[in-house]
Amino acid sequence: MSQGVEPERQPQQSVGAGGPPTSRRRFLSWLSRAFLGLWGLGAAGAIGAYLRPPEHGPRIAERIVRVGLLEDLRIGEARLVRHGVTPFYVVRLDAGRVVALSAVCTHVRCILGFDRERRALTCPCHDGRFDLAGQVLSGPPPRALPSYTVSVRAGEVFVQL
Amino acid sequence: MRRAPFVLLLLSAATAALAQPGSQRPATSPPPTASAAAGRCGVCHPSERVQFERSTHAQEEVRCVSCHGGDDRSLAQAVAHGAGFIGRPRRDDVPRLCSSCHSDEGKMRAYNLPVDQYALYQTSGHGRRLAKGDMQVAVCSDCHGAHDILPRSDPASRVFPLNIPRTCGRCHGGNASAAGRRGKPDDHREYLSSVHAHELFDRGNPRAPTCVSCHGVHGAAPPTVGDVDKVCGHCHTAERRYFTAGPHREGMIAAGLPECVSCHGHHDTSATQPQRLASLCATCHGGKSKQVTLGAKMWTEYQAAATQIEQAAALIERADAVPIQTDDYRARLEEARTYLREALPAAHAVHEETVTGLTTRARSVGAEVASEIYGNLGHLQSRKLVLVVFWFYVLLTVVVLRRFQSRAARKD
Amino acid sequence: MSDAPRVGGTPGGGDASGGGAGPGPRGDWVAWLERRLNLTETFSFLTHFGLVWTPVDTSRPVREVVREVASQPVPAYARWPRVLGLLAAILFGLEVVTGVLLAYYYRPTPEAAFESTRTIVRDLPFGWFIHQLHGWGAWLLVIVVAARLLRLFWDGLYRAPREVLWWSAVAMAWLVLQSDFTGRLLTWDSRSYWAAVRGMEVVFALPVVGPLLAFLLGGRVINDDVLIRFYALHMLVLPAGFAFFLYLTFATLRRVGLSPEAPMHRGAATTLRDHLYSMLILSVLLFGVLTTLAVLAPFRFQAAADPYSTPTGVRPPWYMLAPYAVIENGPGPSWLLGLLLLAVAFAVLLLPLWAPRAAGGRVLGRMRLWGLFALAAWTALSVLGAFMERR
Repeated sequence: MSQGVEPERQPQQSVGAGGPPTSRRRFLSWLSRAFLGLWGLGAAGAIGAYLRPPEHGPRIAERIVRVGLLEDLRIGEARLVRHGVTPFYVVRLDAGRVVALSAVCTHVRCILGFDRERRALTCPCHDGRFDLAGQVLSGPPPRALPSYTVSVRAGEVFVQL
Repeated sequence: MRRAPFVLLLLSAATAALAQPGSQRPATSPPPTASAAAGRCGVCHPSERVQFERSTHAQEEVRCVSCHGGDDRSLAQAVAHGAGFIGRPRRDDVPRLCSSCHSDEGKMRAYNLPVDQYALYQTSGHGRRLAKGDMQVAVCSDCHGAHDILPRSDPASRVFPLNIPRTCGRCHGGNASAAGRRGKPDDHREYLSSVHAHELFDRGNPRAPTCVSCHGVHGAAPPTVGDVDKVCGHCHTAERRYFTAGPHREGMIAAGLPECVSCHGHHDTSATQPQRLASLCATCHGGKSKQVTLGAKMWTEYQAAATQIEQAAALIERADAVPIQTDDYRARLEEARTYLREALPAAHAVHEETVTGLTTRARSVGAEVASEIYGNLGHLQSRKLVLVVFWFYVLLTVVVLRRFQSRAARKD
Repeated sequence: MSDAPRVGGTPGGGDASGGGAGPGPRGDWVAWLERRLNLTETFSFLTHFGLVWTPVDTSRPVREVVREVASQPVPAYARWPRVLGLLAAILFGLEVVTGVLLAYYYRPTPEAAFESTRTIVRDLPFGWFIHQLHGWGAWLLVIVVAARLLRLFWDGLYRAPREVLWWSAVAMAWLVLQSDFTGRLLTWDSRSYWAAVRGMEVVFALPVVGPLLAFLLGGRVINDDVLIRFYALHMLVLPAGFAFFLYLTFATLRRVGLSPEAPMHRGAATTLRDHLYSMLILSVLLFGVLTTLAVLAPFRFQAAADPYSTPTGVRPPWYMLAPYAVIENGPGPSWLLGLLLLAVAFAVLLLPLWAPRAAGGRVLGRMRLWGLFALAAWTALSVLGAFMERR
């Protein structure tokens, strides 16, 4: 700031009493205060952004994934939900029942595909097949697929991994 | 008091009757029916009786005399070994003896057991040799046992899946010399070194193949050229599908080379080794043939894709340490790995576009993930630039504050 | 007359014109409040808590009081080496603020601790910044309280009548170390978990204190009970203790006065207002330093804790390496070594009571020599603790 050091000038900035405040000095004073006020604004902005609770996405540490609305899932249809290294299929069996199965083949961990006519999950790598309970129908997979708990709350489907 | 001597006599008679050697109950008491089935044969043949009472036959009211004939109610050898006594059956009579019940649908229906074992046995390698008079082949009792026959589901049974390699290995293994089969390969030991044995024994997978999965049970015979891929393809359907679509199947059958096992070994089947794509082709085709070039090309493509995926995985680890959100990247990398794993069965078709299509897809997903992570890490570097600007701001603030401070000091 | 900008945070100071409580367009609301509420007494809370030295007459109007207080000449305490106490207080304030922000999202159960920390650091805007500030601030705070302790010792400022200052300083240093220790475990990553396990081994080896602490902390195995007790300590008990000793320090200083001024600074007349500005500048610079550390040298994010697998080469936190070396590798039974450590700790605490009373230069010199020796021994033991193998 370019304020000169002039002791004889009245340093008063306020309106009213004292000598005539120069407009330049008042402006610079206001500018410096605004400048310092930016600190407050910045802190408020950062803290405000931080404190806004995250709306969607997995609930912290409960490993519950919100899949979507129940009515968006047609009967007999399966949806692949990507979830890092544990993707899973959500299959709507009928009007009331929804199951969630791991989409990772128990053979060498390829990602399964859904065969709609056969109501089975098939592996593109070595042709392993699983039914919708996770049991192995044919092929090299050694173990059944793990399944996850599904809950439907207020029309929304949640899967607990 | 007058009845005392009579009671005493009864007591002593009962004790004498019960104290007969061999008719005492064994320490672990079997179900009552078992004693009835073995009858009195066990008096002279105790070890056989002990074995028999553990078996499933004893619990189904099959008696010693059912197979051996004779009379099991008498202790006198002349009577016991009297009319109708067969004794120890001849080896080549054993199959017919067993099938006298086990080929009878009327008897077997209640147990839901098949009745074709004898018919199958006669078509098998064992059966045909036995018909020609070779006694050094397996008959029913060699695999199922004679007295200690247990159902297949019983882990102590000789035909329980985990025990089958050892049962077959009694002849087809290291002890072959004992069974008169000197000079034959040790199939049992080869099997034990295979990936199938590893899957069965070490990883506890009950669906892994044993000897009978490929050779058949009662109609056991090694599959011939042209049938081998059907046998392996029973489980490895994907590989078989690709293999049949390629030129190898016809070519190998025409050349009399067995499919699958020519490259993978038959008893010592080994897991997939993609690096063999380069060297294996040269064993049949010439060293500089276009097939070898194709094999080498498939291997280089596979390797390039695998390396790219490894790089991307390492970058994901680096990103995690920052941390940056990597769940989506991990998901995409799993997809890339799926493509890569699919490339190995696809290689059985020995068709370049099939394999390179998959490896290229795998590599491009990996490259995408890697470049996106690089981008994210680069954005973090911009923080350092902001830091520089921030320091200007800090120093400016200090200057402004000093001005205020000195002005305030001058006033006081 | 008075130009008291709002930046000092002093309440009531505005741009109003000088002179009493004369009603003007903007002075009205202060006078209105003052007829209902003793603002001066509310303001005197600050005087009790140490920033202001002079007692305040609560019957006078607040503006007058503030102006007078701000113009008070006070000794220079925003200069080296007295500034250490001020730095500790500022850093403590920063830790409280960042700690509260972190506490909005952190969950203190073993399942959720790591995940919630990762959410803060990875997903929330500025979460990484707040987390790094908290971590680097803690590191700086430990150094500052330790430096303050060393400087008090070096200048012999533990002798009568300043004993309470020494005890407060020791207590604050100990509380800060405990906060650091409990705070490390909260992230529940593998290195911090196992470092806490090692640290607890050292503590449990002390004779009387060990079993008592094991009882208070919920057991010898670090499980979910222990985590939540660490959390309660870190959030509630230890900061409250630190604040209390801070207050005690200020109260004592008002009684016994600041340490004698260094010759170079004599003659520099300063007011409280001037010191407030200096504090503000100091805070800004400190913030700049911490931001630089946060951006250039951020703490790496580790893997989650696994109680069933120990990474190699994990040691207790650096300030526990010396006792760790003594207890692990010292000759004799561990309870005896623990007793020795406790004796040393109490000797340090009770220094004013057994140190020579005479205030001569030679006496001070001798104490300084002993101090240097002790520091060297402690450093050597720490180095040993960092590199030795476990018995």
